[in-house]
Amino acid sequence: MSRYTRIEFLAACASRHVRDGENVFGGTGLPLLAALLAKNTHAPNANLISEAGFIDAMPREVPLSVADSRYYYGCSASIGLIETLGFILQAGRIDVGFLGAAQIDEYGNLNTTYIGPYEAPKIRLPGSGGGNDIASSAKRLIIMMTHDKRKFVKQLDHMTSPGHLEGPGSRERWSLVGGGPEVVITDMCQMDFDPVTRKIRLMSVHPGYTVDDVLDNVMFDLIVPDSVPTTEEPTQEQIEIMHRLDPHGVYLGKARD
Amino acid sequence: MVPDGAGLFWGGFGYQRAPIAFAQELVRQKKRDLTIYTCGSEVDLEIMAGAGVAGRFEIAFVAIEAIGLAYNMRRRVAEGKVEIEDYSNLAMAMRFLGGALNVPFMPIRSLMGTDMANKSRYRGDKKLRVIDCPFTGQRVCLVPSVQPDFSIVHVQRVDQTGNAQIDGIVGEDIEGSRCGKKLIVLAEELVDEAEIRSRPDQTRIPAMYVDHVVVLPFIAHPMQCHNYYDYDLEFLQFFHKMTRKEETWQEYLDEYIFGVDDHWSYLDKVGWERLNQLRAKRPWGY
Repeated sequence: MSRYTRIEFLAACASRHVRDGENVFGGTGLPLLAALLAKNTHAPNANLISEAGFIDAMPREVPLSVADSRYYYGCSASIGLIETLGFILQAGRIDVGFLGAAQIDEYGNLNTTYIGPYEAPKIRLPGSGGGNDIASSAKRLIIMMTHDKRKFVKQLDHMTSPGHLEGPGSRERWSLVGGGPEVVITDMCQMDFDPVTRKIRLMSVHPGYTVDDVLDNVMFDLIVPDSVPTTEEPTQEQIEIMHRLDPHGVYLGKARD
Repeated sequence: MVPDGAGLFWGGFGYQRAPIAFAQELVRQKKRDLTIYTCGSEVDLEIMAGAGVAGRFEIAFVAIEAIGLAYNMRRRVAEGKVEIEDYSNLAMAMRFLGGALNVPFMPIRSLMGTDMANKSRYRGDKKLRVIDCPFTGQRVCLVPSVQPDFSIVHVQRVDQTGNAQIDGIVGEDIEGSRCGKKLIVLAEELVDEAEIRSRPDQTRIPAMYVDHVVVLPFIAHPMQCHNYYDYDLEFLQFFHKMTRKEETWQEYLDEYIFGVDDHWSYLDKVGWERLNQLRAKRPWGY
């Protein structure tokens, strides 16, 4: 068994959801690390796209920004936003997009803009960026978050990006291009969505945690199936590759554990 | 040249080609009540929000990405001194495309069903409109085009006539450079017209669009400019740390912006040895 940090676990777990040959929006941060890890392991033909304009990128080290020059060398084309978010994403050509969030509700709707009331926000967060576009139009959405009870809420302070909105049929009602959230990965568990009700459902629990730990750390009703498997652990190879990709520990942290 | 109250398209995307020197000069000239239109900008927005030159922002994103959150913007929003009208990156890029095409709005398939469509800070019902498409019956979101007073775009190279070349990604700067009433191009380097004409495919902004040109080195410091220099990670982290509290931000403002006469003095203060180490290496471009 390999030793791993929570962040390493999260990145390795997310990377397994990228399939070979898919068109992937990676962004920056842990999602990017997960996408790069997939490309360096089981999905060598994944087409990694950055919304700033880089297409089929294979950076030697992790970029700090979606526009980072580290994305440039070795990519197949370097264009711009209308290309990536318009021609590629909105035209339905992105298979999988990654997003993080400060708050998520039981339909996978996301808040990345305000904590507190819109009229007098307590905390301004980064905002949508390309998040709303990706959540609207990517075929599948993978959401990555560190697990904190206050983030898994019944009612968002602000809905920045669409998950399954109010449930069955609501994405169709707004003629959204993409399929919405498929999986939510935290450092405690994986969650997916019930195909009928579109409500969030426990999928697997990471080693060291129990179903009750998860239930104690969400503020909405989580569907718990009869059997909940334990999430697969990262391999030593995955851990080594992600440290090679992030040699300065920008995302993984300086310490190995 | 930029009067108080003007609207500015703000070029650059993420860490790339941010017009930081221009933001610092707006601060030194004590401009007020500007409105900034951009997709996602970072250190430059923090400077303009923090120093009080801009009160309104129509943007998709503000943070320093991997380095962390935008503290100046957070404080100014909490104080009520800055108002942000929230759009997505695609929405803003399409608003610039609409402005550049001289049509009043553009349709997109984002924002619908969320608070982005339901809530507005100051534009009210002029923020966007969701309609049923008259041809297909599908829902579609219309976003209003922008034709601001100025477009501010930072590029790698320019010639005497104003032809401007951009290396690497363009972000939203093709549309942005064409949507403003006046275009100010900031360039790292002035080159011969013959050099531009020897690789015209790199010319992203032909001279016919350009009203004014400023040539200066390290315009984006501490951010990056592809093929010219990398970001200054240590300085970027220092900047981010200084924005954490109002007192330290004021110290930074006094020392690095008001404390220098112009961009050249800023570069002297940062130090040329440090700057030269940031120069891009081939073939990486950073």
